[in-house]
Order: sequence, then C-alpha cells, then structure tokens
Amino acid sequence: MNLEFFDEGPALVIEGETRHLVVADLHFGIEADLAAHGMHFRSRSAARLKRLMAVIEAAQPDALILLGDIKHSIPSLTRQEYYEMPGILADIRKRIPILVFPGNHDIGLECFLSDGELQPKEGAVIDGVAYQHGHMIPDKSLAGKLIVIGHHHPLLLLKDEVGCALRAPAYLRASVDAEALGMNEPAEGDTATRVLFVPAFNEIAGYDILQIVNKPFAPLSKYIDKEGAEIILADGTLIGPLSAIESDAPD
Amino acid sequence: MPLIDTLDPKVRECIRKRGFSEFSPAQEKAIPLILRGKNIVLVAPTGTGKTESAMFPVFNALLRMPAGGGFKALYITPLRSLNRDILARMQWWCAELGLTVGVRHGDTPMNERRKQALSPPDLLITTPETVQAIFMGKRLRKHLSSVKFVIIDEIHELAGSKRGAQLAVALERIHVYAGDFQRIGLSATVGNPDDIGKFLCGTRPFSIVQVPVAKQLEIAVRYIGDDLDHQVNVLSSMLKGEGSTLVFVNTRVTAEALGHALFERGDVEVHHGSLSKEVRIDAEERFKKGEIRTLICTSSMELGIDIGRVDHVIQFGSPREVARLVQRVGRAGHQLNTISRGTILATGFDDLLESLVIAKKAKANEIERVTLHTNAADVLANQIAAIMVEYGEIERDRIREIVERSSIFASCGRLLDDVCSQMEEHRLIRIDGSRIVTTARARRYLMTNLSMIHDERKVPIFDMVSRRTVGTLDESFVVGWVHPGAIFITKGQLWRVLEIADGRLTVEPTKKATGELPSWEGEQIPVPYNISLEVGSMRRERNIAAYTPDKESIAFSGKFLTEMDKNRSLVPTDRLITLENTDEGVVCNVCAGHKANEAFGRVISILLSARYGTTVGLELDAYRMLLHLPSSIRAADVRDVIDGLEPAHMSGILRLALKRTALFKWKLVQIAKKFGAVDPDADYEKISIHRLLDFFENSVVQAEAYRELLMEYMDIDTAAAVVGLVKKGDVKVGIGPLSLIGAGGLLSSRDQIPPPTADQVILSTLQRRLNQTEILLGCMNCRNWKSKTAVARVPDLPQCPKCGARLIAALKPYEEDEYALMKKPGKNSEVRSIEQRMLRNANIILSSGKKAVIALAARGVGPEHASRILATLTDGDAFYREIMKAERSFIQTHRYWA
Repeated sequence: MNLEFFDEGPALVIEGETRHLVVADLHFGIEADLAAHGMHFRSRSAARLKRLMAVIEAAQPDALILLGDIKHSIPSLTRQEYYEMPGILADIRKRIPILVFPGNHDIGLECFLSDGELQPKEGAVIDGVAYQHGHMIPDKSLAGKLIVIGHHHPLLLLKDEVGCALRAPAYLRASVDAEALGMNEPAEGDTATRVLFVPAFNEIAGYDILQIVNKPFAPLSKYIDKEGAEIILADGTLIGPLSAIESDAPD
Repeated sequence: MPLIDTLDPKVRECIRKRGFSEFSPAQEKAIPLILRGKNIVLVAPTGTGKTESAMFPVFNALLRMPAGGGFKALYITPLRSLNRDILARMQWWCAELGLTVGVRHGDTPMNERRKQALSPPDLLITTPETVQAIFMGKRLRKHLSSVKFVIIDEIHELAGSKRGAQLAVALERIHVYAGDFQRIGLSATVGNPDDIGKFLCGTRPFSIVQVPVAKQLEIAVRYIGDDLDHQVNVLSSMLKGEGSTLVFVNTRVTAEALGHALFERGDVEVHHGSLSKEVRIDAEERFKKGEIRTLICTSSMELGIDIGRVDHVIQFGSPREVARLVQRVGRAGHQLNTISRGTILATGFDDLLESLVIAKKAKANEIERVTLHTNAADVLANQIAAIMVEYGEIERDRIREIVERSSIFASCGRLLDDVCSQMEEHRLIRIDGSRIVTTARARRYLMTNLSMIHDERKVPIFDMVSRRTVGTLDESFVVGWVHPGAIFITKGQLWRVLEIADGRLTVEPTKKATGELPSWEGEQIPVPYNISLEVGSMRRERNIAAYTPDKESIAFSGKFLTEMDKNRSLVPTDRLITLENTDEGVVCNVCAGHKANEAFGRVISILLSARYGTTVGLELDAYRMLLHLPSSIRAADVRDVIDGLEPAHMSGILRLALKRTALFKWKLVQIAKKFGAVDPDADYEKISIHRLLDFFENSVVQAEAYRELLMEYMDIDTAAAVVGLVKKGDVKVGIGPLSLIGAGGLLSSRDQIPPPTADQVILSTLQRRLNQTEILLGCMNCRNWKSKTAVARVPDLPQCPKCGARLIAALKPYEEDEYALMKKPGKNSEVRSIEQRMLRNANIILSSGKKAVIALAARGVGPEHASRILATLTDGDAFYREIMKAERSFIQTHRYWA
C-alpha cells in the first residue's frame, strides 16, 4: 500500500490493487448554515466542485471514496441542497465511479445516489483498507486494519511566540483500542487497528486537533492512543507526535 | 445699507431682543453671502457666533416660505449632545418668529417622531445617522423634497471620517428629492478649507469665509516635570486665580488621576467619554452655572457645546496636533473679540519640545489638513444598500450619478462595479443586467448598519483565576484573531485565552511572551510628521530659547541635551537617525511622527523577522521605535536592513506584513460587516471565521482594509520618503548604546510582526521535534559504549568517552538490542548487514558531525537517505527543508503505514 497526498484538497490517494482517491467532509450547502449564524456568502459549491475535479485530474484514481458529510444540512435537505446535489454528483460520476460512506449530515442524500454507490455506514474494507465516516462504532470486521475516517475535520494550529502562526488542515494517525470498541480480535496477518483522521475538504470546516484528542466526540477518537498519535500536514509533511505541538502548554 | 437692514424686520426685532448690538466679523462676512443664496464654508473658532451667522439669513428665508409642507432646513451636527444644545438655542428664535423646530436623533421619543412624520417642522436638528433613517420611512422621506437649506455644524469633524463620507452621499440623495438646496458648513480652523467645501458641495460653487484665529490666541508653554505631586501642585496653584478653567488632558486615565488628586478642592469635576451621559450633563450644567470652576476633560469637550464662560484653558501634556490645540484653546474667552488664553503644561523632554512646536505653529496658523475618506468602499456599499432599500430597483448608472455628485465618490470608477459584485456575493443585492435589485436581506442589513461608526459589541474578558471580569475587547478583534491559546495584552497585563463561549472570553494571566494590543481604537492621538520633524530640528539646533521665554523650559532642555553630550550619546535629529542597542532589542530613534514610524517600524520588523526567522515585537511613538529582538540581532543588523530598503518597495512589504496581523483581521471583519457579509450579531462562536476571512483575498473588502489602515494608522509614503533621504545621504544613520532620548518617552503602540511565511513555524516545529528526539549513541570502535540522549544534547563532534574514537553511530532507541550484538564475535549474515549499516551511520557522523545526527533522527531516514541530505550541503532552514522532504517521501510508503 502506498499513499499520495494532495495538498490542494486536502485529499489522499491510497493505492493497493486499485487506486482510490479519498475525500472527506465536503459539506455542500454549508452556506445556508453560515447565514443562519449571521455570515452571508453566496453558494461556493461550484468552486468547491471545481477544486474536487482538479484533484481528481491530478490524482488520476480508479475510484473516488467519499468519507461522508457530502451535504451539510441536518435533519433535512435545504432548497440549495435539493437543487445542487444531483448535479454535483452527476458531474463527479461522469468522470469516475464513487463510493459513499454516509455521514451524520447525509440524511436525505440516498435519493441522489445510484446503485452500488452507497456503502454501509458502519464501514467496510476495500482493497485491504477500512473506511467509515467516523461518527459511529465501526463494524467488527474493521479490526486490525487501517481505518480511514472523516467527521473530525482536523486542523493544526501551530503557535510561535506571538500566538498562532499556522492554521492548516492536517491528518492524524493513531492506533486505536479495538477491544474497547467491541471489535473482533485482529485476524491472522493483520496488525494493530489504526485510524487515520482525514481533514475536511470543505474550505471552512476545521477543529483544532488538540481539541479532538482532548475532548473526543466520536467513538474512534475516544479510544485512540494519544502517545503514539502523529500529525501529518495535508502535503504529507510529518509534524510529529502531539507532544511536538503541545509544548507551549500553560506555563 | 447696514447689514442688519438687509434682514427681515421680524428677525431684526429678535436680534434686538436678544441684545446683540453688533455683528461679529464672521457674521459680517457670512450673512450677506448666505442671503445671496451662496453655498459657504464658514471657518471660525468656536464661540464667534457661527450658528447665528448661518441661521439669521436662513430664518430670513424661512419666513418668506409658506408654512408646512416638509422639512425646509436641516441642521446636522455630529453629536446628540450638540443637537440638544442647538435645539435649546433655536427654540427661542423659532417661537418668536413663528417657525417650527424639531430635533430627531436616536434618543427622540416615539410620539415626537410620529408627530414629525405627520407635520414636519420647518427646521429639523439631527445627526448624520438619523438622516439615513429618514430615507427609510416612506412618508418621512417625502418631506425631504422641500429642503432648501442644509447646515452642517462641526463639519471638520465629519469630513475626515467615514460618517462624513456617508453624509456626503446622503446630501446627494436629498438632492434627488429636493433639487438644489443651499449648503452651509460650519468648521473649526483647518489647513484645507477648500477640501471641506468640496466635501460639502461636490462640484458646485462655494465660498469660504475665514475668520483667522491666530491673532486671538495667547499660548504659553510651561515645563512642570513628570512627578504627579508636583504637577498637581502647579495645576492647583494655577486654578487659584479668578474665573473658570477647562483642563484638557489626552487620556481618560490622566483625567481620572488629576480629578482624583484635585477632588478635595471641591470645585473640580471630571468629564470624559467613559462617564455616563447624566454625569456629563450634570458636570456641564454645574460648570455653566458657576458652581464648579474647573472641568477636567478629554476631547469630549472640544466641540461647541455651550458651557458658558471659560476664562482659561490648560492643556495638560502636549496637545499633539495644532488643530486640537487651537480648537481647545478656542474654548476660552467665549465672547466675541476676546483673546483666548491657554497654557500647555509639558511633562517631559519630548513633550516640551513638541508643545513648543505646536504652540508656534498655532500662532502661525499652520493647522493640519483634514484627510477625506475618498472612495471608501464600505461606505459605498452601505449607501448602495440604502439606495436599494429606498428605491427597490434602480439602474446602476443612476446610482453612479447620485454617488458621483459627492466629491468623496466623484472618481469612484470601477470601484462601484466591484462593490456591487461583492455585495451580490453576500446577497445584499441582485445584479440584473444594468439594473440593481434589492433583496430581502437589504432592509434588515440597513436597520443594523445605519451608522458608519463602529458601534461594536464589546466582549467581556473573564479572568478564570480571580473569577472576575477584567475588561472588554472589541468584537471584531475577537472574531478576527482571538482563539484558544492566543495571548494578548490588556490593562497592562498578559492574558491567555482559554475559551470563547457564551459571549465572553475566558482568560488566565500568563507571563509568557508578549502579545498584541487588543484594541486599536485607543485614545492615542498621533503626532504628525512635520511636528516630529521640527522637534528633530530643535534637538539639532538647540534653539529652545527661540520658541519660549520660559526659564524653566530652557534650563531643563539645556540640561537634558548636555547630559546626552556627557554620556557621549548621539542626539537623534531631523537629519540623524540613531540605532541603539539595549537588553531588549534595538531602539531606532526616528523623528517622523506616529504614522510614519508605525509604517517604517513594521517594514523593518517584517524584514528582520524574515531574515532571522524570529518574531519581532514592536513598540513605538512619534520619535522612536523599540524592536524587541533576540540578543543576537544588533543595531548593525537593523542598519543593514535599512540600507537595503528600496523606498518604492516599502508599500508592498508593508501590505504583506499587515496581512497576518490581528490589526488587519480586525479591520477586515469591520469592513465585511458593512458589506453585509457578517451580521452585527453574528454567532461566530459556532463557526470559525478565520478561514472565511480568506474568502476576501484580493477582494474590494481587503483593498478597503488596506486603504483605511494606511490612511488612519500608518503613513507609508512618508516612511518611504525618510528612507529616500537616508539613501541620498541627507539623513544619516548612527549607532550607539541606549541614550536618554532612546530610553525616554511612552511607547504607545505595540504589535508583533511574525515571520512572513507559515513555513517558518513548520520548520521550527520540525527543529524542535528533532531536538527532542531520543537517540542511542553507540561507539562503533570499541563497541562498548552506548548512551541514550536527546538530539539537542549531542555535542558537535560526538566522541566515545571510553576509547576516545569519533566513530559514533546515532541509532533509534529500539536498536539497542541490535547494537548489543555488535561486540559479540561470530556474526551471521543478518547481523553483518546490521553492522554494515551501523558503520555507515557512524562514518557519516564522523565526517559531518552533529548535522548527521540530526538527519538520522528524522523519521524513516537511514544512512543512505542521510548522506543524500548531507550531500546537498545545505544549512539552516534549507537543511531542515531537505529533512522535511525525506520524511514526506517516507510517509508515502508502506513502511510508515504498516
């Protein structure tokens, strides 16, 4: 298995037998929610889709794995989503097959999906790697695998003496306590169960990684091994263990 | 014919009743012009009968018009308190003349408003913001069609602000209903009355009537030292004489301190903007009645609120601007033709010289110019939204026609189109071909954005430790910059943000690092370039006696300069910049005024921070900048940076430097609000706005943020001109140790200039991680010494303490067992290959020393990769970048993910 990082996503190619492009948390339709919070912007869906298509062109994958939260509004579709989603999905489909691991925001998305696109929300193993949105307890069969998830929108805040100098989407890789999650013993030949948190593709989503780790809000983030966790920037730069960024903790 | 006979008999009668025996010079000149229907700007000091000059002829005309039918004259002032004051004066006249008068502003009760909508008064006294509100009411705006006169009081105060830019457009919107009306501006003395006239009238003709102020001013400067007790004693003895005194101070803190010290006298009150309206009005009233003889006030008292007779004005500390001094001293001698007496009490060396320069310029009538907010994009957006609410749907060319009649937007050109597109982006308007259509949001937007004053929500700062609220921050500052972990300064202390929730900021005190000033809407009045420059020339020529007869002032400044000479310090002047090394960094003494120093300091800081990859702290005032630097960077390095500066590039550098600062983000949020992108009550806690701000990249919103910052806070053109003089050799640069001048002064503005690229912080994180990485050093010669240590503690050339060999391998801690195999005889092929690898490892360290150790500590970097990195012969950042690349390719492989 080899990985390639696409900074302009952020997106990730995982290549084994086939070449999969992995994209998490597109949140199409987020503008309606922004407006509800008093920030008014026109729909940026077109620009976001264009960015996605550009990454697809650059990566030349065999299939696109969408790690959920493709749309934004809960609990139902907004007008914006109702009008935009079919076109967006059709545009992607024209170029490449898609596999969707639905997330908590994807209520109502099913009706826009074609046969074979919808994957189980508990996750599934494809080409030796496990995928899931990341909001629920993974299927038992995912034990012993690298589980690639979205949902957390990890964002790295790097500070210098001034305060904050960098704010960038980043990956978090950690091993996870599969037993605590009630998953199977790893099968023969498998290694420890690990999880890779993929940053959101949506340009305005983001949670501080330290917050994710210290105040976990999903089963998988709750049971990770903090000590061994490592941060990787969207372009594949290794930042290192959490301790590398936690050093300016309270004096 | 005498002037009085040109007026209506009724008006004449009233003038007699009021006991005016003769006209003031201002009135003599202005009344005939107004009677002839001319637009005029009347420039005269406070208390020279400006209001009457304007109103006699206006009354005259109003008497000849039929009763009823809408507002006939609008009297606009910048302050509600002025409105009340003017109303009180106008009521008598209007009652006598049988005219109706009303006041309308934020405080006007509902029933009064309704009455105005049904039967509008002839004369309406109002504020610029309320004029905006009048357009929103269908019935009310119809009353604008009968407007024949608009009088703008204290127009100098409005002209230089965004409020004024907004008002300029409002006048043209009235023009749509009323056609041409007569425009009368009442202004304090300014350097450019012509621009005020254009601001008032656009391209229409106007006359300027100026009543010179200089002859009537008598200004003394006294040096009173920096000891508060002594200052209070001097002040107290000055208040002993007859008559009433206004004491102007520059900050609220000073007002409170002096008020407290003089409280026991019983005849002193304090008056400033932080006090409640009731307290202020009470102080004004008591002063007017003579119950108290002294009022200690800030700029709150500058404008023409009538507080009765003032015999003397004391300015405590330098007034910083000529206009301000003239305005303040002008409050004394409120009767016509009396001399205004003022005394400046100077408290230090800079303060004294500055005061002397300002006093001299005031006497020479060299008043600062007012800078107009020409083409302020957020004002344009605001007024387009207002026009859309007013009309619903309108041709874009029609909007252009309206706004271009004002001098503020006369040359707006493409800006109008850019602003429209940006507004459409935020769904405030819809563009339909050549027409602009309003949206459902526009009215709601306008109701909360009638004013261009940043009436900001204040976010309370709650200290976790003492469990109390320690102050407030401007909301825009919180939105644009503050995040958990951020450090800022307020109340002279450092705080770390713990949480932003429930509309408040939870913080804890911290000692680490320095932070940014939390709010820029401070009370600091910037000292202009030419004043600072003249102070520089006084230091050079040492001609204090030419400015003042005051013995104490001459003696003090003489002693101060002699002391500088004794210490062999270079005296920074208008022709000499001095750079002084201190423990904290480098002081640059530059006599260029606040705004130019702000620009200059930021440019130097960003270049230093880029060159040395460190954050640079900056504090400055009108005469010096203190650059907080690591001890390795000295004055000579700063001079290198200055020498290398190209004046033409400075503006670009400054823009780059500003982009990542809190100041810039704060402005950006404020302007975004005026474009309707962010509601005044936006719930920013739920959504991280930081990345939203990226959406404004290269937009008209961003351009406006730059325009405003460069106009209001920093003067890059002057800074570039100073560097130009250095290049030509007209201004020299000297280096020395810290001098009295360098150490003196109050450093007023603080900011931090981070390195220009985010790259720096990634590299320093990498560097820190590698330094902390545990490695195992093992001697490959005796194979009998190993030591676990962090990379940071490895010496430059590691050596085995047992055998003295330099053949040391740097291994991962988990290779400890493999190293143990090295001293055992009889190795199998697997162990031999490990041995080969370790020997190669040690050989690299033998030739490259610690650098090799660092490379080998990186993830997935073995001897082959390490030698490839070392072969690039890079150093410093470039070396770490090579390591970063190596790690990046490692991460893409199966080895990392397995």
